[in-house]
This record gives sequence, structure tokens and C-alpha cells, in this order.
Amino acid sequence: MSASSSMQGNTVPASGMDNTIESPGQRAPLVLGTGDFHTVTNQVCRVTEHPSVPMAWYVAFGVSLMLLGALGIAVNYLIFTGVGVWGLNNPVMWAFDITNFVFWVGIGHAGTLISAILFLFRQKWRTGINRFAEAMTIFAVICAGIFPGIHVGRVWFAYWLFPIPNQMEMWPQFRSPLLWDVFAVSTYFTVSLVFWYIGLIPDLATLRDRAKGTIQQFAYGLFALGWRGSARHWHRYEVAYLLLAALATPLVLSVHSVVSFDFAVSQLPGWHTTIFPPYFVAGAIFSGFAMVVTLAVPARELFGLKDLITMRHLDNMNKVILVTGCMVGYAYSMEFFIAWYSGAPYEQFTFINRAFGQYWWAYWIMVSCNVITPQLFWFKKVRTSIPAMFVLSLFVNVGMWFERYVIIVSSLANDFLPTSWDEFIPTWVDIATMLGAFGLFGVLFLLFCRYLPMIAIAEVKSVMPEANPHWEGYAKGHAHHGGAHHGHGGASAGSQPAFQDPRPGQP
Amino acid sequence: MSHSHDHADLGPSNTRADAAIARIAGRLLPAAVVLLAAAAWLAWKGGDANATAKLYLVSFSFILAISLGGLFFTMIQFLTRAGWSVAVRRPAEALASNLRWLWIPFMLPLLWLWWKGGQHHDAGTHALGLDVLWPWANLEHMQQHEPAEYENVLKKAGWLDPNFFVLRAAIYFAVWAVLATIFFKGSTSQDTVGGTATTDRLQKLSGPSIILFGLTVTFAAFDWMMSLTPTWFSTMFGVYFFTVCCTAGFSAMALVTIRLQSLGALKGIVTREHLQDLGKYIFAFGIVFWAYIGFSQYMLIWYGNIPEETTWFMARQMGGWTTFSWLLIAGHFVVPFVFMISRWMKRWNVTLAVASAWMLFMSAVDLYWLIVPVIPAGLADATTYAELAEKHKDAPVGFFTLATLCSIGGMLCLFAWRTARTLSRNHLVPVRDPRLGESIAFQNI
Repeated sequence: MSASSSMQGNTVPASGMDNTIESPGQRAPLVLGTGDFHTVTNQVCRVTEHPSVPMAWYVAFGVSLMLLGALGIAVNYLIFTGVGVWGLNNPVMWAFDITNFVFWVGIGHAGTLISAILFLFRQKWRTGINRFAEAMTIFAVICAGIFPGIHVGRVWFAYWLFPIPNQMEMWPQFRSPLLWDVFAVSTYFTVSLVFWYIGLIPDLATLRDRAKGTIQQFAYGLFALGWRGSARHWHRYEVAYLLLAALATPLVLSVHSVVSFDFAVSQLPGWHTTIFPPYFVAGAIFSGFAMVVTLAVPARELFGLKDLITMRHLDNMNKVILVTGCMVGYAYSMEFFIAWYSGAPYEQFTFINRAFGQYWWAYWIMVSCNVITPQLFWFKKVRTSIPAMFVLSLFVNVGMWFERYVIIVSSLANDFLPTSWDEFIPTWVDIATMLGAFGLFGVLFLLFCRYLPMIAIAEVKSVMPEANPHWEGYAKGHAHHGGAHHGHGGASAGSQPAFQDPRPGQP
Repeated sequence: MSHSHDHADLGPSNTRADAAIARIAGRLLPAAVVLLAAAAWLAWKGGDANATAKLYLVSFSFILAISLGGLFFTMIQFLTRAGWSVAVRRPAEALASNLRWLWIPFMLPLLWLWWKGGQHHDAGTHALGLDVLWPWANLEHMQQHEPAEYENVLKKAGWLDPNFFVLRAAIYFAVWAVLATIFFKGSTSQDTVGGTATTDRLQKLSGPSIILFGLTVTFAAFDWMMSLTPTWFSTMFGVYFFTVCCTAGFSAMALVTIRLQSLGALKGIVTREHLQDLGKYIFAFGIVFWAYIGFSQYMLIWYGNIPEETTWFMARQMGGWTTFSWLLIAGHFVVPFVFMISRWMKRWNVTLAVASAWMLFMSAVDLYWLIVPVIPAGLADATTYAELAEKHKDAPVGFFTLATLCSIGGMLCLFAWRTARTLSRNHLVPVRDPRLGESIAFQNI
């Protein structure tokens, strides 16, 4: 096999080589087509430094801006008129708003999982995708934060969500999970932002050092916090990074668990079930990874990052989608089985109603997109096919939106009192707000792609063979380049030396 | 750190300890026989068939959980193509290999009870049957004594049917035995043949295997533990039992590894780095994840406050069970969380051994807590919680009795004896696994 020889770590891994093949005992390279750190720095910085950007970026930015405008109109109309402009009415008091909230919070989870849990699990491939997954987390949480804010009705009192001392001695209901949400989501946003920013500092310093214009020098320099890449800086950086990873890890579980409590503490059939916390967490990671694939596929194409976000990265992400999709399928089955097993007529009715009642179409969209189609990822051909994974990841995004819609709306629409049963029909404001949130997300994400390093330059270098202190250069005779004058990171930044076992095999 | 461990000794003097382990096995067998005989005698003297059956179920579930934890560890390493864990994988495989015989001490009594219960017997006489543990197995009795529960159980009689129940148990054990055999035989045969084909094959099999594992573990927990209270249900219960398996399995694995090293084996192969990672596994799955799942299940049922769900927990908050529940929270989460959070506690074999032994013990406590309590009769007649609690303030737990300790201890000795026999006939590390080099050189940074 021609590929296996280049996996020895002795030759420069060719651009476009198939690094999804891994013979046990020899780790496949995670960075392709380059023999040195300098190329990595150039590849990433080129995107922000190049005076022009691809046409597709402008098109996407234009569309996102228009959707953002729609969001502005819809939200302003809502604020000036009242929440009656939405399709909400008794008994469906939560619909698109909370569906969107849960959807966007969920999207964020992949970023935290990649940056925190995969870091603790020493998954080196995370370095290729963690930066923009974390960015995605922050933008997704911003989108999520809009919805509880505007659905309270009198938006100018939204600050009452926080326990602020006041002369009326009025406090939020601390026993309500809706308040726990305020704490959970705001903590999550804060930690994610700090984590993301700490990781950015060395790369911002690289951009500062390379910047030609005064504005760029000033802006990148301001946020690089005087980073010089000294050993002391790196030491502090590594300690901070590890601590933040450990702090962010419980957040991956806690945030969506608290979101699930919003439903599960109630007594409503279809909401009140004990598996909700881990089920919501698995679903969040599932939808988040799907969004990462949806974004990574065009991004690596447009900005020429295929050697850094390789097929191996995509293959791994698709595996995570398969695993979490199976977990979500497990949760759906348990809910259905226990609804029957419980013998409780209300539980039984709710689940049969979900599958065959007025929202049957939403239910089956959910099952098809979340459980059935991801099974195609069992096949490597599908996992490594760009068009297939792009389409499947879009399906998951759709499926996970509908999951929340099914849970929220179908349980509310047909509750205990058949005389008040009703059907929720979204208005144009509902739809504009939902699409508009995608616009906000798109605008933020595209600006990030344009002005910040999309890939963690220093971290990627640390998983290249060159970062290993025992590395002696490629057979072709490349000299060992030091990291300093090619940007920050590399050998000195080795959070984990990319150990390549030099021995051919065991006796 | 120096790289002297690159030259770890993989010869038989370091990777086998046949004679020493066989000696240990030789001591474990008589210990098992004595303890189990004592437990049997105490049970016979006690004369309470239901209590005996429950104690037997606790003791059996304990060694089953250890084996399932070992199996899960093995499979997840192949699924993720892990490098670090190769040096400590054989103990997990050895624990899992017990699943090849564990069906005997479960299926034989089960089949006997099933057969006895199916026999025609005269009205008035009460023969032993599956209802010695599972009330749903005797619907007539339920109809007379617990009519409300009977109405509910009737709706699920298709699932809680003695014949189907026994068939399902056979399926679970068949799946586990096949999985344990595939992974154990595969890995030990690689010790002689070497190469990468075995690793590739087990990696391919690990995905579907874990799915089968997840489903069988879930439904086994539903069948054997949740249906002890046939009206009660929780969608989380399967996941909860999975965390018990992780606690028991990973703790046992760490203990076996440390014991093997104390015999003089695995020098330079299993390092502090591996011990630390084993400690992390216990910490993550056995302590934190367990607490997360346990808390979520309890909090949602407590908050929802629907009688058909809360009764199960109420039985665990009566009399002596209140203290026992607090012991579980403190001993399974609070204390070990503080004890194990520092990296040094996981890296030193003494502290890790203490923590692992404690967590193994706590998983037995956990199973006892899951299986033994009974929802007090006349629950529906009580008007207030305080009245009920007062009436049952003397509800006994019976964990720290000679019968319990002999039964659980005897089963553990039996299990340890079989595990030692397995280890005495095999390499203590997958000596020709292609990732062994990577594992030996692995460092936590």
C-alpha cells in the first residue's frame, strides 16, 4: 500500500493522501502536504491577510445580512405589538421560540465537547476543528439567548430574569428550572468565551507580527495582550487551558441537562421522563457536530484548508454523529417502550399521538433524519464522501430542530383536557424569527472566518511529528525549522508531543 | 522523564506469573466454598425465601456488573482505537471472560424457579416460583393482595411473562458470552500470531458489539431489577445500571492491575501514567457520571411528585434505609470525589488501590440499595408522609449482617478464583498488540 509508507513519519505526508486509513500501530498524519510549521502559519493566516475573499463569501454574507434584517424586523414588530403576533395560544404557549432556543443551545455543544472533552481524552485531531467549533458555540449561544429574552412578552423587563436586589423585594422563582437556565446558559457563554479567547491569544500574536497595516497591527496587538511566546507565557497558557478544559467539561453535561429540566420537572406526559438529561446532552452533541460538518465542508473548500481539516477529521466527526445519533435513537426507543410499560394511559396516548396524531409528519421527519439516515455513516464510503456527509449533516440539523418541535408542541397541543386541544400554526413572524436567527449566526460566523484565524495554528503544530522533541527530520532532508520566526507555536507549544513509535513492531 | 521504558521487558518473566497467580487461585477457591456454604447455612436457618433470593440476586449482580464493566472497557478501547490502554487491557478482558460461565449461576436457579412455578399445585399450598423475587410472576396472588397493582401489571403482562422472561435472560447471556469470547479469544490469540489483522477485526466488530451491549444491559436491568417493583418505571434505569457496571468493572480492573504488579509482573509496562488514567476512568464514570445519572433520576421524580413514581424512592427513605441512602450519596460520590480529584491520588498505587477497593464495595452497596428495599404494604392507606415514615421507622436494612457479607464475599471470591485461573494461563498484557509500544511510552502531561 503506497499510503502506508508515508505513515511512517519519515516522508512528508502528501497533500490529498488518504489519511483515513490507519494501520494499527502507526498513527496516520493529521496535517498533510507540508513539511514545516511555516506552511501551516501561511495557510491559516492567508485567509485573513488576503485582500480579497472568494465570491461565495460575499454571497453568503449578503444572504445572512438579509436574514438578519428579517430578524430585526420580526423582533421589533414583536416588541412593539406584543407576543400575540406569534402563533402561540392556549394550550400551545411554547412553540417556535423555545424550539429555537433549545436548538441553538444544542448546536453550541459540539464546540465545547471538542475543545474540552476531546482535549481531556487526548484526541489530537480536535486541533484542526476546535477553533471554529468554539466560535460556532459562542455564536449559537448568542442566537439562543435572543429567544427567552423576547418571549417574556415585556422585553423591557427581561432583566427580571436575573436576581437583582430591588426595593420591592421581588425575586425570581428559584425553584423554577427556567431560572436555572439563566444561570446555566450565562455561565456556559462566559466560560466558552474565555476558553475561546485564551486559545486565540498565541494566534492573534502571530497575526499581529505578520500584519502590514497599522489598524491590523493595533487591533490584533491589542487583543494579543503582549504575547511574546516566551516559555513562561506558554507555561501559563497551558495551565490555564487545562483548567478551563476541566471547568468546561461539566458544562457540556450541565447546560443541556438544565435545559431538559425545563420540560422534565413538569408532569406533562412526553416531558416528564427521567432519561431527558443525558438524552438532551447526546442530542445536543449530535446536532452540534452536524453543524460543524455543515460549516467545515464549504469552509475548507473555499479557504484552501483541506490539508488541515483533512478527510480524517471529517471521518471522525461523522463517526461522532453516528454514535450520538444511536444514543438519541436509544432514548426515543426507551421513551416509547416505557410509555407502554408504565401502563399509564396518558403516557401511552402521548407517544401514540406523536407518531400517528396531528403532528405525525414532524415526528417522522425527526425519526428519519436523526435515527435512520445517520445509519448510512456505518459505511466508510459515506463517511468519506463530501456530498453525502454534507447532505446527511443538513438532515440532522433539520431532524434536531424537529425533535424539539415535536417534544414541545405535540405534548402541549394535546394535553390532559381534550376540549382545549388545538393545533399550533406558525405566523410569518415565527418563521421570520427562526430564519433570522440563522442570519445572525451566519453574519457572525462569516466575519469570524474573515478576520480571525479559523484554525488553531499553534495547536495544530503541536500534533505534527516535528513537534516531537525526538523527531529527527524527514528522510527527504528538510531541516528542522524552529517555531519562533514562523509564528507562535510548534515545538515549544507541544501540549502533547505527537509521539510516533519509532519501533517497527513488537517481538 | 527518561525514555527507559521504551525498552520494557516483554519476556515471560515480566508478562506472565502463572505459578504465583495459580497459588492465589488455590486460596480463593476454598474461601469461596466456605463463605458460600456459610451464606447458604445462614439462609436456611433464616428460612426467608424472598430475602435469600434477593441476597442471591444482589451477589450475582455484583459479579455480573464487574464483568460487564470489563467488557465495556475492552470494547470502547477498540472502538476508539485507543493507544494508551493496551498495557492495562488484559485485566479487563480477563474480567469480561467470566461472562462465558456466569450464565450458569443465574440460568440454573432461574430455570428451576420457572419450572417449579409452572407446576400445577393444589390451592392453598404455596410452591416456590419466580414470584419469590418478581411479584408479577404470580398474578393470582397479586389480584388477591394488591388489586391496584394487579390492574397495572395486567397491562404489561405480555412483557412480564415467565416464559418470555426466561427466554430474554437466555438471550442476554448468549450475547454477553459471545461478545466476551470474541474479544478475549481475539486478543489472546494475537499473543501468539501477532500482526494487525486481529486488531482490525476487533475494531470493526466493536461498534455493533457496543450496540448489542447497550440494549442487553438496559433490558436486563429492566427485567431483573426494575420489575422487582412491577408498577414502577424509569426511562433512566438502564443507564443507571450501566454506571454501576462501570464503577464495579473499572475499580476491579485497577485492583487486578495493581495486584499483578505487586507480584513482580508488568514492570516498566504498566506505569503511573496508566494508573492515573484508570483512576480517571473510575472518577469520570464511577463517581461523577454515576452521580449525574442518579441525581437526574431522583430529582425529576422528586420534583414531579407523582405517586406512581415516588413510591420506589419512598421505600428507600424509610427507617434504616434513610441512613443507607445517605451512605450511598456520601460514599459513592462526595467522599471519593474529594479523595480522587488530585492527580497524585490516582498515580500512587496505594491510594488508587484504596479508592478502587472502596468503589468496588460501594457498587455492592448500590446494588443492595437497588434490589432489596420493598415498598411497604399499606402505603396507600397512609394520609401523610410523616405518618408513614413513623410507621416504618424501624424498617431494617440488613446489609451489615453475616449472611450478606458471606454471600457477597463468597461470590466475589468465586469470581476472583475464575479470573485468577484465566490470568494464570495467559499473558498479563497483550504482548503482540501493535499499539503496545505506544501504550508503554504514553505520558500524561
